[in-house]
Amino acid sequence: MNSMNSIYENLKSKFNILGVDYPDDMQMAIDLDEKDIHTVIVYLKSIGYTQLSMLTCVDWIKEGVFQLVYIVFNWDNGIHILVRTKLDRENPKFRTIVEIYPGAQFYERDVHEFFGVEFEGNEISYKNLFLELWDDMPPMRKDFDPQKYSDEKYAAREYKSKFISEVGGEK
Amino acid sequence: MKIISNNSKTDKEDMRKIWEKIGDYFRANSIWMKWYCTGCGAIELPPTMTSRFDMERLGMGPMATPRQADVLLITGYLSSKTLRRIIYSYEQMQDPKYVVGFGSCTINGGIYYDSYATMKQLDNYLPVDLYIAGCMPRPEAVMNGFDTLISMIKKGEANGWKHYKENYDWYSRNQLHSLGEVYVKDEFHE
Repeated sequence: MNSMNSIYENLKSKFNILGVDYPDDMQMAIDLDEKDIHTVIVYLKSIGYTQLSMLTCVDWIKEGVFQLVYIVFNWDNGIHILVRTKLDRENPKFRTIVEIYPGAQFYERDVHEFFGVEFEGNEISYKNLFLELWDDMPPMRKDFDPQKYSDEKYAAREYKSKFISEVGGEK
Repeated sequence: MKIISNNSKTDKEDMRKIWEKIGDYFRANSIWMKWYCTGCGAIELPPTMTSRFDMERLGMGPMATPRQADVLLITGYLSSKTLRRIIYSYEQMQDPKYVVGFGSCTINGGIYYDSYATMKQLDNYLPVDLYIAGCMPRPEAVMNGFDTLISMIKKGEANGWKHYKENYDWYSRNQLHSLGEVYVKDEFHE
């Protein structure tokens, strides 16, 4: 934890960190304002966090925000840093980090596809990566109902008898 | 949606010609399977193929291309994306061809019953000759299923491929309803 503390002190002296959390022994999560994200990521890359392990999104529907999580990894000390920020859920837009980590291209397409977050500056982020001919709202949003979608599109098998009630389960 | 049974019992007497019977006898003893790994069930096939259970003693072997294969195995959950490729593969295969559905996902959706991307009933889209139940079926069950398939072919009961031709409109309608369009449209086909 000592090295983690020194990393935190170092970051705190340079940036405005809104919150910190330690999900695991070798992981540190910092919350930032969205305008600081690119600066912090460039700084972390310059001090050895050369791998972007993950970019993902969390839908906090009650707060009305999307949380973007950038996970960067340092191969020298084995520490992950989770850089997090919150976006407005109504019109989610953010700026790309493809210029910093080219591998973010596919993560940004993934987040755009499943959450509908737009990444300005990434010209092909609108392209679908996994879904083909998708015709509904982005499916990882909390207000998407997969059961309803599935029932409409994919016919279920009809059984002549109800096995659950026959074996004495719920009726 | 109405389910048309593949193994209709109406033609109880054997209507096959003598050369069809001879053909079915030889087909049943030399089955090449197209091993298209759609889901987790594919992991049960290496032990079935290799020395412990040794599928080859039934005269079965794996085949690399659909045009040379007799059996299409749907091993596990079937996503809408995979189904397009499966239809491509199935329609490339030469007659006679047989489809085996593995595991509960192909039967009724299994644990993916509420997924936005997974088919719930394989026989709406392709004519399934045989289902092997289980999640996943162990190699013993798979061997048992193949044994059943062989006896079905010998008796001339595995007629899914004829059924697909006769009811192509019904299958095509189901495919289009669930997929929108069967043609594959991804980055590699632009």
